[in-house]
Amino acid sequence: MTSGSESGTKPGRGLIGLLLVIVPVALFAWMTVWPILSGITRALSPEQPDGTRALSISNFAEFFSDPYSLANLGVTLWTCLVTLGLLLVICVPLALYLRFAQGKLATYVQTMAMFPMFVPSIILAFAFIRVLGPNGSVDLLLNAVGLPKIRSPYLTPWGPVIGLVWDNIPLTVLILVSGLGSVTNYAIEAARDVGARPLALFWYIILPRMWTSVAVVVSFTMLGLFSAFTLPYVLGPASPEMMGPFMQRTFGDLRDPDMALTQATVTMLFCVAFGLFYVRAVARNRGK
Amino acid sequence: MSKLTIAEVSKAFSTTRAVDSFSLEVADGELVCLLGPSGSGKSTLLRMIGGFETPTSGEIRIDGEDVTRLPPERRPTGMVFQSHALWTHMNVFNNIAFGLKLRRLPAVEIRQKVEKVLDLVGLAGYGKRHVTQLSGGQQQRVALARSLVLEPKILLLDEPFASLDQHLRERLREEVRDIQQRLGITTLFVTHGQDEALALADRIVVMRDGKTEQADRPEMVYREPATPFVAGFIGSMNLVSGQVADGVFTHSAFRLQVSASPGSALLAVRPEALDIAPANAGQGMAAIHRVTDFGINAVVDLSLPDGTRLKANVPDARAWQVGQPVDLVPRAFALYRDDKILLRS
Ligand SMILES: Nc1ncnc2c1ncn2[C@@H]1O[C@H](COP(=O)(O)OP(=O)(O)OP(=O)(O)O)[C@@H](O)[C@H]1O
Ligand SMILES: [Mg+2]
Repeated sequence: MTSGSESGTKPGRGLIGLLLVIVPVALFAWMTVWPILSGITRALSPEQPDGTRALSISNFAEFFSDPYSLANLGVTLWTCLVTLGLLLVICVPLALYLRFAQGKLATYVQTMAMFPMFVPSIILAFAFIRVLGPNGSVDLLLNAVGLPKIRSPYLTPWGPVIGLVWDNIPLTVLILVSGLGSVTNYAIEAARDVGARPLALFWYIILPRMWTSVAVVVSFTMLGLFSAFTLPYVLGPASPEMMGPFMQRTFGDLRDPDMALTQATVTMLFCVAFGLFYVRAVARNRGK
Repeated sequence: MSKLTIAEVSKAFSTTRAVDSFSLEVADGELVCLLGPSGSGKSTLLRMIGGFETPTSGEIRIDGEDVTRLPPERRPTGMVFQSHALWTHMNVFNNIAFGLKLRRLPAVEIRQKVEKVLDLVGLAGYGKRHVTQLSGGQQQRVALARSLVLEPKILLLDEPFASLDQHLRERLREEVRDIQQRLGITTLFVTHGQDEALALADRIVVMRDGKTEQADRPEMVYREPATPFVAGFIGSMNLVSGQVADGVFTHSAFRLQVSASPGSALLAVRPEALDIAPANAGQGMAAIHRVTDFGINAVVDLSLPDGTRLKANVPDARAWQVGQPVDLVPRAFALYRDDKILLRS
């Protein structure tokens, strides 16, 4: 009768639990919460002419009234949305194929889809320039058969998009395939048995089970893309630029840490929004 | 009025011949049980009838119409799977109504049909429940209702109750039998359990390595197994291989008068048909190895001098002691030679 309450109130149990928890919590507070708070505080209290700091939103006012900053935010959002759209268009069919196809070909496709995960971004960027850049191999091939050169996406907003799509395919496919794992073969066969053709099968049986993983993909890739640095830095245009390179340049080249912190805070707000979206999607799935 | 014809159907996978020129006619309203050991091709056969596998050769006809190459969605068959086949993102009503919705029936009619079939499987009022909130037995009833609501010509069940406990399995199989008889629906039922087959079937097809070993009424399969395999597979059976010479079957000390031609033979005798009689000390064909008392009867394990074990049912355990020498007197037996029946008594 007392066995249940005993384990809960035993002295020492609580203490050990607390000790186990305190290390990660302290680390989290020190390395994550503290920098965030100090950064936001600093962004919100710009230095006055007399050298003191006072609470003001003038940094944010400056950011949101500066056309260049807004253009950078805009190109970042545009890149995120286009990349995400392309990722879903490419990866949903791929994931469906990997989940339902059998045989050797599927194994090869799976390996191919995972391959980008093992290629560092910087090598990817270099390969991109050699293939799609000016006088890259595509141009050489076109030239060989007497066709005009392509308009290279290198140093246009499409450069980072192409690189980021390629870079994000493995994770997206993995998440989608694992989501599709919850659809049993029997459930599929039962649907066909009662008369569902492929389209109805996808729409009524498979898609409803994919929403959670699509939501996870949306939030994960958005978080990743917002903070992307290497690919936009190497492949993207100099102006407007994505938030990653923009922050780095403001901090390093322009030596304006307050403005860089303001940019970081704005970026973080967008990321928090997608983080909440992720948490909600997962919670809703748990509730089922 | 639905008749199923399976003509010379074979299915070869890369490494195995799962079904090997299998033929069967199932009459309208008949319930046929497919029975056989694991890997004998029961599921493969059923999946070919349902359209989930394409036969390598042969033909499947329903009411004379060739359906061999039709996909499942265009076959008049309904299949109930072993488990995990419900759509967990839909409630009970929507699971059952899905097929009707695909057929674009009016909502009122769908509602009526679903309610009727829910009533039939004993789940009236469960429509709004989420399928994950149902017990295993209730889930399988929903799966059954989902097939029945479309009024299929042929109902296919692949070990539908295998994941349920014994008690529930027995209850559900009686319900299936009732429903099947009430609707007069032609049914193929795959099972591992011989008692299930004996209790349910109009006809039992015993399969082995993708072929029919015997197809007959349950009592015939039990009483007159056509091959030693069926004899050993259905019910418990003593199988003793020996030699016939001068009208006597011999194995070790076991001797039995038979009117058969000389040669090697396999004797099959059920424990309930094997009488034992006390013998004098130092004599007798066998010795009692163990007595297991079940109250209403008892099973005596016997040991021949060469170590062969036999079982005999006796009415009272207390009449027998371990180690006691006994003679064996089969009341009814069958003799097989080359996998064919030689003699039955
Ligand atoms: N998709 C497949 N690919 C390759 N071999 C298969 C496939 N499906 C079944 N087999 C093989 O075909 C044979 C028959 O399998 P099947 O599932 O029909 O047996 P079963 O009688 O239903 O067995 P169980 O009682 O265990 O369900 C087995 O040897 C099996 O390994
Ligand atoms: Mg099977």
